[in-house]
Amino acid sequence: MVFNTGAALLDAIVLAVVSREDEGTYGYKITQDVRKVIDVSESTLYPVLRRLQKDECLEVYDRQFDGRNRRYYKVTSRGMVQLGLYKSEWKKYIHKINAIFEGGVTA
Amino acid sequence: MNRMEFMAELERLLAGMPAEERQAAVQYYADYFADAGVENESEVIKELVSPEKVAASIKADYYGTEFNEEKFDQKAYMEKYGRRSSDTEDRGTQKKQPWSSNGLKVLLIILIAIVVWPVTLAIVCVVFALAIAAVSVFASLVIASAAVLAAGIITVIVGFALIFAIPPAALITIGIGLLLSVFGLIATVGTVKLCIIVYPAMLRGFVNLCRRPLYGKAV
Repeated sequence: MVFNTGAALLDAIVLAVVSREDEGTYGYKITQDVRKVIDVSESTLYPVLRRLQKDECLEVYDRQFDGRNRRYYKVTSRGMVQLGLYKSEWKKYIHKINAIFEGGVTA
Repeated sequence: MNRMEFMAELERLLAGMPAEERQAAVQYYADYFADAGVENESEVIKELVSPEKVAASIKADYYGTEFNEEKFDQKAYMEKYGRRSSDTEDRGTQKKQPWSSNGLKVLLIILIAIVVWPVTLAIVCVVFALAIAAVSVFASLVIASAAVLAAGIITVIVGFALIFAIPPAALITIGIGLLLSVFGLIATVGTVKLCIIVYPAMLRGFVNLCRRPLYGKAV
């Protein structure tokens, strides 16, 4: 992609991806899902997940899988609020950008 | 580099971080490899580029410093692991090998040895003689102890032979013989044990002495 993904947008995308799974989801799957839409390297997401976890937007728990403990991430209520904020900000943002790109005609 | 090496290196690079941070990161990447599956292992390692890059991304976020991703592109990895890219810039900044490289060192030692040959010969002989002497001292202790033991046993046998001819003398002889045997036995066991401890230590010391000029102290 030609556009850079800033830290806030990356946070928002990760929160959105994780929030789609009620039971929570795990690092590898989050990375694969995020990489379907934006081009990030595989090492980008751990710091993001860790930060969101510290900000209490994500919570982690371990669950047995295939004879080992797999760490799952789940969006907290605080994370949902944050995601809502991101979503409304994003709407405003693309609205304005679209306005410029398409000469005031917005879909 | 395989998954194990990657994880070990990552863990090592994160050593300075608090245990909790380190464990969380290590678990994440261990999970990541496990979930990617063995068939994707090399793919994942290629994507992650290097343990250094992963460690830097973790530390940058934790310590709130800036992480410059470009810095860790293939080139940095190549340099680190010896497969040099043929960049022109590379050639300019290439570090000069210190003059005391290993090959040169060995050559120098041989040259010096030839020049001071008469002295070296004497020294080699002395060292050799000392080594033999040291080995012999301990060996002779064992032999002496064994001899005492043997003498004791023979004395006992002689004592028994005398028992009908001169009973009192025979009893004294047997007694002395028994004492000698016991003393000899204890001494033999003791000296053999001493040898077991001393010989390997001597060998190690000798080997170290020989390697030191070639490889430096820490081997």
